[in-house]
Amino acid sequence: MTGETHSRSLRKFLRHRPALLSLSIILLYGATAGVLIFSSVITMEHTLEPVAAFNLPGFGQQSTPEKRLRDVELGFRSIQVALSRKNPVEQLRNVKFGSLVLVSHDPEYLQSQMDQVDQVVDRLYHYEDLDQIVKDNVEEGSAVLKLLKEIESVAGELFTVAEGRTEVGRRFRLFLGTDKQGRSILLRAIWSVRVAILVGFVTGVVSVVIGTVLGLVAGYFGGWIDHGVNWLYSTFASIPNIVLLIVLSFAFDGGEFDDLLNRWTGGLMRSIVGVPVQETLIPVFIAFCATYWIGPCRVIRGEVLKLRELEYVQAAQVLGYGRVRILLRHMLPNVAHLMLINFSLLFIGAIKSEVILSYLGLGVKRGPSWGIMIKQSGQEVINGFYWQIGAATLFMLVLVLAFNILSDALQDILDPRHVG
Amino acid sequence: MWAYLLRRLLYNIPVFIGILLLVMVALRVRDPVYAYLGKNASADTIEAKRQEFGLTRPFIFAAPTESQFGSFVIQVFTLDFSEDSWDHPGETVGDILGRCIGPSLALSIPALVLTTVISVIVSLVAASFRGQWIDQTLVIAAVVGMSVSFLVYIIFGQYWGAYLLPEITGYELFAINGYTHPSETTWWEYITYDWPHHCLLPVLISVIVAMGYDTRFYRAVMVEESGRDYITTARAKGASQAQVMFGHMLKNAMIPILTRVVITIPFLIMGSFLLETYFTIPGMGRQLILAVEHADFPVVQAFTAVLAAIYILANLLTDVLYAIVDPRVRLS
Repeated sequence: MTGETHSRSLRKFLRHRPALLSLSIILLYGATAGVLIFSSVITMEHTLEPVAAFNLPGFGQQSTPEKRLRDVELGFRSIQVALSRKNPVEQLRNVKFGSLVLVSHDPEYLQSQMDQVDQVVDRLYHYEDLDQIVKDNVEEGSAVLKLLKEIESVAGELFTVAEGRTEVGRRFRLFLGTDKQGRSILLRAIWSVRVAILVGFVTGVVSVVIGTVLGLVAGYFGGWIDHGVNWLYSTFASIPNIVLLIVLSFAFDGGEFDDLLNRWTGGLMRSIVGVPVQETLIPVFIAFCATYWIGPCRVIRGEVLKLRELEYVQAAQVLGYGRVRILLRHMLPNVAHLMLINFSLLFIGAIKSEVILSYLGLGVKRGPSWGIMIKQSGQEVINGFYWQIGAATLFMLVLVLAFNILSDALQDILDPRHVG
Repeated sequence: MWAYLLRRLLYNIPVFIGILLLVMVALRVRDPVYAYLGKNASADTIEAKRQEFGLTRPFIFAAPTESQFGSFVIQVFTLDFSEDSWDHPGETVGDILGRCIGPSLALSIPALVLTTVISVIVSLVAASFRGQWIDQTLVIAAVVGMSVSFLVYIIFGQYWGAYLLPEITGYELFAINGYTHPSETTWWEYITYDWPHHCLLPVLISVIVAMGYDTRFYRAVMVEESGRDYITTARAKGASQAQVMFGHMLKNAMIPILTRVVITIPFLIMGSFLLETYFTIPGMGRQLILAVEHADFPVVQAFTAVLAAIYILANLLTDVLYAIVDPRVRLS
């Protein structure tokens, strides 16, 4: 590609508003992932620890009255249990409700508070269904809500955020509510950005590199090399994608692969990664890269077959340039746009496949990902709790949508002949 | 044409053997017997099992009937699926295949047909209102629809179809899970009640998911076609909009449509994997995933081989269809 076409494409791109917007969104996600990878602002442990009661709604909204009563009771039960032990003061120090701990560890004070609360709870128990009453009966409903507020304020006085935590941090974690184990949905969704970008980026880069090298070589040299590459990609392309992914992620899933790798590398793998290989994203990477290199390879081989016959390549041959030089200096720049488009398409494919593999239990093993969040929320949806599935879907939708728009724009600008 | 088909078939044999090799190697990265028996098995039991399943034979470097690879290739090409499943003692791989293939087809064939018909019609509508609000809405809806995970569609589809709908209407139209084989009831009942009850909802979900991708592609094809000279000629002759759309354009767009249908087959297989797992329909996808989970090695091996063979045959079928649809295409 000459300098002129380069800048023309660039100018076109800069004038394409949706594409620019998408690119900045993608960069924002990328920056988030970068921060998460290279610093420990949020660690995996943060995403795994409970913050508050389970399935709290986000945006500071309140649960239904029944659920509120249950949440408060859960908190008080932990105090009750501690009080009934032999060494209550010791036990009370260990009481934790999400990220909250007790303000006072004085058993007598707590006992008096508990007795007071028990009376209120007993009164609330008179009602068959709190939700129904609040909905139907204005007078009794407001009485019920008042009682609920009363015990909640008692709970608020008894509990405080643990040392080293701030109220703001807790608010932030509760911004999108909690999942069914009381873990912060917002933290989990943000952590999943890291997983998605890692999977998309590694898959995209490695697959495009493999595909480009094989495509260039096959297209340019032809003959037996071409037959070989052709056979290889026909083979990989003739297994339905998902079947190959399942078989590969199964293969690299067990401890045997970890043993094998560490035996080869003399334990190097373990010392770099820190945990067994099957618990990292490496099996997912291998499965995806082995599946996704076919697309770029096919496209680039086709393009090279065309380029090979052009005059400028023949001129280069006549000038006596070596094959490697022609491949790298004359062919590669002319397929660069295809590499870019394919990278963008593979990024989307990898992110979406990761979700599906994680759902099938073959993807991410430790920590959250959007797939794991969506998988978890199947049960929650039936109970009318949409925060987790909503958060995961929205985070993913924005990224994938941005990539879809960007790929379309890239295709329009760089490859105008393309249809569809 | 027959000579062409034969040649294509022969060309695909090394590809198919390559697939078998790939799958067999991938399945042996982990010791299959160890994965199946679990950590608590003693070394002797593992060794005995390995003998029993013939995994001590040389993998590839031996006489074809002696090596693991050779004997499996022979088994596949002679359609000999009499190996016993590990996880379902007493059942052969062939038995399992036989009982799984029906539900899979009951799900995937209607999904494929419906998806194609609906998205072609929608894309024709979009193309004929090109640039107007209908078209723009459809294009945006398609891109947004493509960006939502398949799983979300399944979860909400099941929630609305099998949970909210009965609550509102009082009729249990769709089942959450299960499947009734046609042999368990009469065919009439199967078509009028059992199939819609168990399969219609997954099929609809599958159609909605695929719509985004397909509509976008078909619309691009139609838009390209609608700029051709023959369309202008037809219009000049005074052909009505419907005649132009269905009589002229659709016929000429058949080749890209056919290609697309074959391209969507792996997507369809993936869809049926998820839908079968979620709706517990005992098809091939669910069985394969269960077999992977339980390390049911012969089943995984055979199922992958069969799925790959189906895909290769589907590709071949497209070539034949090309020639039928477009007489200019000569298969030589």
